[in-house]
Amino acid sequence: MTALYAFVGAGVVAAALYMILSRNLVRMLLGLSLLATGVNLLLFLAGRIASAQPPIIADGRRALGPSADPLIQALILTAIVIGFALTVMLAVLVLRVWRAVHSIDARQVDTAESLGPPRRREPVND
Amino acid sequence: MQMFGLLLVSLIGACVAPLIARVVDRGAGLLIALLPAALLAGFIALAPIVERGWVRGEGLNWAPAMGLDLTLRLDGFSFLFCLLITGIGTLVIVYAGGYLTEKSRVERSRFFTLILLFMTAMLGAVLAENLLVLVLFWEATSILSFLLIGFDGRSWRARRAALMSLQVTTFGGLALLAAVLMIGNVLGGYSMAQAVEQADVLAASPWGPAIVACILIAAFTKSAQFPFHFWLPNAMQAPTPASAYLHSATMVKLGVYLLARFEPVFASVSWGRPTVIGIACVTMAIAAFQALRAENFKSALAYSTVASLGILVLLVGLDGPAATVAMVGFLLAHALYKAALFFCAGSVLHATGLQRLRAMGGLARFLPLTALACVGASLSMAGIPPFIGFISKEFLFEAQLESSWELGPLATAVMVNAVMVGVAGVVTLRPFFLGRGKVLSVRHGETFSLVAPPLLLALAGLVISLEPDWITRVALRPAVAAVYGRAVEVDLSVWHGVTPMLLLSLTVITIGALVARFWRSIHVRLSRIRRVDTYSLERLWERSQRGLILGSRSLTRWLQHGDLRRYLLTVIVAVVGLIIWSVVAAGAWPRLPELGEWRTAEALVALVGLGAAVAAARAPTLLGAMIATGLTGFAVAITFMLNGAPDLALTQFAVEALIVVLLTALLLAVPLASPPTRTPGMRRADALVALLAGGLLFVGMLDMVAIDTEFLASSFFGRLSYEAAQGRNVVNVILVDFRGLDTLGETAVIAVAAILARSLTMQRGGDATVATRPVHFSFLIAGRGLSWLLLIASLVILWRGHDQPGGGFVGGLVGALAFALLSLAYGVDRAEKALRVNPLTLVGAGLLCTLLSGLPGMATGGAYLTHLWWEPGGWAPKLGTTMVFDLGVYLVVLGAVLAFLFGLQREAAK
Repeated sequence: MTALYAFVGAGVVAAALYMILSRNLVRMLLGLSLLATGVNLLLFLAGRIASAQPPIIADGRRALGPSADPLIQALILTAIVIGFALTVMLAVLVLRVWRAVHSIDARQVDTAESLGPPRRREPVND
Repeated sequence: MQMFGLLLVSLIGACVAPLIARVVDRGAGLLIALLPAALLAGFIALAPIVERGWVRGEGLNWAPAMGLDLTLRLDGFSFLFCLLITGIGTLVIVYAGGYLTEKSRVERSRFFTLILLFMTAMLGAVLAENLLVLVLFWEATSILSFLLIGFDGRSWRARRAALMSLQVTTFGGLALLAAVLMIGNVLGGYSMAQAVEQADVLAASPWGPAIVACILIAAFTKSAQFPFHFWLPNAMQAPTPASAYLHSATMVKLGVYLLARFEPVFASVSWGRPTVIGIACVTMAIAAFQALRAENFKSALAYSTVASLGILVLLVGLDGPAATVAMVGFLLAHALYKAALFFCAGSVLHATGLQRLRAMGGLARFLPLTALACVGASLSMAGIPPFIGFISKEFLFEAQLESSWELGPLATAVMVNAVMVGVAGVVTLRPFFLGRGKVLSVRHGETFSLVAPPLLLALAGLVISLEPDWITRVALRPAVAAVYGRAVEVDLSVWHGVTPMLLLSLTVITIGALVARFWRSIHVRLSRIRRVDTYSLERLWERSQRGLILGSRSLTRWLQHGDLRRYLLTVIVAVVGLIIWSVVAAGAWPRLPELGEWRTAEALVALVGLGAAVAAARAPTLLGAMIATGLTGFAVAITFMLNGAPDLALTQFAVEALIVVLLTALLLAVPLASPPTRTPGMRRADALVALLAGGLLFVGMLDMVAIDTEFLASSFFGRLSYEAAQGRNVVNVILVDFRGLDTLGETAVIAVAAILARSLTMQRGGDATVATRPVHFSFLIAGRGLSWLLLIASLVILWRGHDQPGGGFVGGLVGALAFALLSLAYGVDRAEKALRVNPLTLVGAGLLCTLLSGLPGMATGGAYLTHLWWEPGGWAPKLGTTMVFDLGVYLVVLGAVLAFLFGLQREAAK
């Protein structure tokens, strides 16, 4: 099963990278969201698929018995939330871009480039 | 700790004393000059130590692990430099007080600060024993020189000259640093005395040639030797007092100082002495030639300074005690007369505003005392007895006759000295005595501050040669002994009888007189040779500057093309390439894990996720891509659930649901289907790169899971979760307790993102109401009830999180879903009204909760975020500060998601 999960995770990452390379900003955004999902799955594998038992100490016991790895789950949990915040933040930015230049093609977002280099002229000799 | 005391006084004084110039207008220079004068007195008080040939060392530990200790060392050579630095420094400050009358008080105060800081740096450089400390002060002098040359920042000439000197001298500083580091590497320490003692070890080591080369480069850049000489004449853009101080009397002699200190080192390699002598001769020849071509008073002096530095370097390069005596004697003589001449040049410039020598004439009538000082200094420079310049010239010729070298350097020295006699004659006679009537009036006459310093220096040149006992005893003899390594008899007297040296002096004076007589025609003829300017190093420097700017501009254009896809492609390809390269270089083959049992249901779920991801990548419209992405997310969530991670599954479900709601707002605004942004070729290339990266990742993952390791941290948390933190859900306990500080940081990140999103979507002038849409029947029936249910569920999830799957993160997300449902059903206005407070208020309150929850633990003596528990027993639930912490996380997540949600929906509805 581990090998299959590794295959699926790597495949999801590959699809995400393909989407990120698009110049359509919304596709890029979806790609980033997908990338977070794929990476989280791969991270999960780093804790190994040892047991389907959740890392919860059963009633009446004082220590955790055999279970899935708790540490990696804590890591992934925050990663999911941060990845979500990142996706939504990007969505806000893309929406602003759409309002500003009326396009979601990254090539059209060139307001900074069209200003030219910061110092076009030689230093002025007075 | 006398030397440290003097340095400290100098440093603090440099920062404080110039404030006087802000209050006092006239006479500020005289008051501030008391500081260097006091330092001079302080050093003279140390004379008895030096006089006996002792060496005084002082040390403080600074960073012993790096071999960097603040060690100072005073011997005869350092002492001579200290006398020159503080003595001439006093006169420079006095002179500057009279010279900078046209500047504002603030400007004047700035000048004094820079000069005094420079003095401190200079003292530090000549007193330093630890080589790293030497480098530090050395660089400080370069930077202060840059600031002083560019003092008049509004003039482009000054800026250009300042930049030029900075580039050349800091390049040398870099070379010095390299040399010092190499010395430290070879000897294992940074003591200068040790480096000189073990010169043969250094030279014999494989680093030897590099060390010598770097030291020579450092010395040549600082002392303006060929091919780095071009910065010094340009540095004359500095105010004249600074030129006199930095670019004639003291800083440029640091190179000579370094060479003299490291003479045993460069003499240990076979090409050391020939290089030094050769470079010195070339420098002298070029400088003499340029001195005759120079148009301006100051630039003629500048080139003669370059020539004098050449003589000093030559004398360091020659072997034998006579050379050392000559070097020390000339160092003193040159500092005295050249500073005086610069002062005179400054006075002329100040009084007439003229720079060109040929425009001046007959100034003796207006500036009689300046003329007198100029005559005295020039006679010393020309080497006319009984001035000190004469004695030092005798020493120079004696050293050359005694050394083992051929006549080449001697001939150069004779010629250069003749030119210097000529220049001395020209700069005295032309402006002051010849050409009466060229200048009919001056702006103002002489003042005490402008006249006293050059007169004193010229007088010193005379007095020292007539009454040489004191200075010989306290400064010259110890200095020679310190440089040469053992005591040498120094006999400073004017008349030695008829010797070969005297004959050479006579020759020099005769040729020099002829040069002065026919200066005009020589000058005009030499000035016509334009080729010299075309092929000069200065032009080369200018061209390199322009090339640098053009080169970096085209490099920037090439790298910063502005195409996002190519940037990302570069990053991904580079990462993939580096990984492949490192794996191949290591020669490692991936290990394969055991296959384990096959579970069809789980496999199907995972494969659906993969298929959805591929579908997302290939989806023609954005809506399809979004749905497929969400499907992958749900498949992964189910996978989490099936493998013992209910917390992750809950979070992922909530996130996927929220993403749908949030992105719908975006997709409502932008076109769902737009023309493809990549050509089919690009898509194929991208697919190839993506597959390559994915394949690499797959292999890497297989390799990783093939190793069976013990997870020490995980088992630690599992053992102690209930014992130490009262929680049965280990994941939650790790988040809120064991790694509470990490979670605090992540919460803060979410809070910052929320503030950012809010500021990006906030409307100016209040939120306009969004037109209400008709409410769907199903929402009308179920919306309100369902959202109440979700809100209550979220609180339950939060509450039970410590022992069961759940917690602040999931709770916050589920709570946000309740309001997302409301806004979908009744519009964003109603949802905001239902919330009643600004989402950012929730974020702030939540952050406050998380921050404050760590404090009670500190009261009991624990670290920040040590959580406390209280178990009343019986039916009452246990209570703890982690609950406050988790509540804070809940509020931050809830507020942040709502800030995103409302912002996006408002923005999209516009």
